Amino acid sequence: MNAKLETRDAGEAGIRIIPVWDPLVRLIHWSLVTTIVLNGFITDPERKLHEYVGYAALALVILRLVWGLVGPRHARFSAFPPNPIAAMRHIRDTLSRRSSLHLSHNPLGALMVYNIWGTVLLLCATGIMMGTIRFFGVEWVQEVHEAAFTWLMISVGLHLLGVFAETWMSGVPLVRAMVDGRKRVPAGREAE
Amino acid sequence: MNETGKPGPKTKRRAIALAGLIVANVLCTSFFAMDVITDFESLGTDEAFHLTVEAGAAVVLVVGTSFMILELRRILQRNASMEIGIRAARGEMQAVIDKYFAEWRLSDAERDVALLLLKGLDNETIASIRGTATGTVRAQCAGIYAKAGVDGRSQLMSVFMEELLSEPLGALRDGAAAEAA
Ligand code: HEM
Repeated sequence: MNAKLETRDAGEAGIRIIPVWDPLVRLIHWSLVTTIVLNGFITDPERKLHEYVGYAALALVILRLVWGLVGPRHARFSAFPPNPIAAMRHIRDTLSRRSSLHLSHNPLGALMVYNIWGTVLLLCATGIMMGTIRFFGVEWVQEVHEAAFTWLMISVGLHLLGVFAETWMSGVPLVRAMVDGRKRVPAGREAE
Repeated sequence: MNETGKPGPKTKRRAIALAGLIVANVLCTSFFAMDVITDFESLGTDEAFHLTVEAGAAVVLVVGTSFMILELRRILQRNASMEIGIRAARGEMQAVIDKYFAEWRLSDAERDVALLLLKGLDNETIASIRGTATGTVRAQCAGIYAKAGVDGRSQLMSVFMEELLSEPLGALRDGAAAEAA
């Protein structure tokens, strides 16, 4: 009976609601999504607006990197260190349905996050170079810029696949957490 | 239970507003920085002044934004520790309640009813939650009051309120630990 009482308190079926993403992380994420969509599909690469949006994306990633050093617990790099071995283990555990729950990014997601930030930085760097006199019209810079964009699109596709797969396997609605900041952890699941 | 464990909506709104300002500032900084870089390329002698002003503005923005970032971190940290504190207090209160219930030798059914009483539910609601008759609940309440040596619901409440107000939580915990040992 006591256990049942506590369940009633927590609302739906003993779900624990844990704040993980602070407002800055969320704002940066959705702003970054906006800049990528704008520059990938809407702005004319020859125009000034493309450059402005590119600088905005650069600023957002740099801000996020600073926040990864000084921000709160779940936003810090130390909460999701890049670790390929842990990422492999996460894939294996997920396939056998015994993966553990992570309040910050899971080890595989962490690799993707660093990959996306790195790719956006590369896009910005080559984009800025193209605008300078020194590299104006230089072939390889433009090629790297385009290749980076293709890679970013592949990465985002995998990112979405990962988010939905993890949501399905763990039962934690991740997209909702990126919107209101709170992860809803099902009853009886340990989270680290 | 209500949302007392969460930081108030006011601090939450402040954190969101601050995050918005930080992002806006960072975007402005990037535009200034971009202008400085493009101007630097086509630098004529009379451009130097213009460039210095812009670079200065960018630096001021960066410094201001850094302070905002630290302030946001402070707010978020305070919220987090407040939440932990309240959760701890709740845990302590549960320990105190368990201690008294054990001392009074309440039966399992009486414990459940007493807990619901403490949560402020009336007899009818308790009966419907437990799937028993109201008369049963009334009898159980009488049993609880007798065992606790109080003459009603409000006195039962005041036993715990007194605990909560008279001693610091640390002392309570130490007391419970000493008893457990
Ligand atoms: C251009 C598109 C996108 C990019 C570049 C992108 C990039 C990122 C990055 C860098 C992070 C890490 C966030 C951080 O720690 O600050 C992240 C996390 C996340 N993104 Fe995206 N994202 C994109 C689109 C989306 C979309 C469309 C959705 C939702 C449908 C989404 C849902 C999420 C979620 C749920 C997380 C957190 C995952 C977790 O809980 O570990 N993203 N994304």
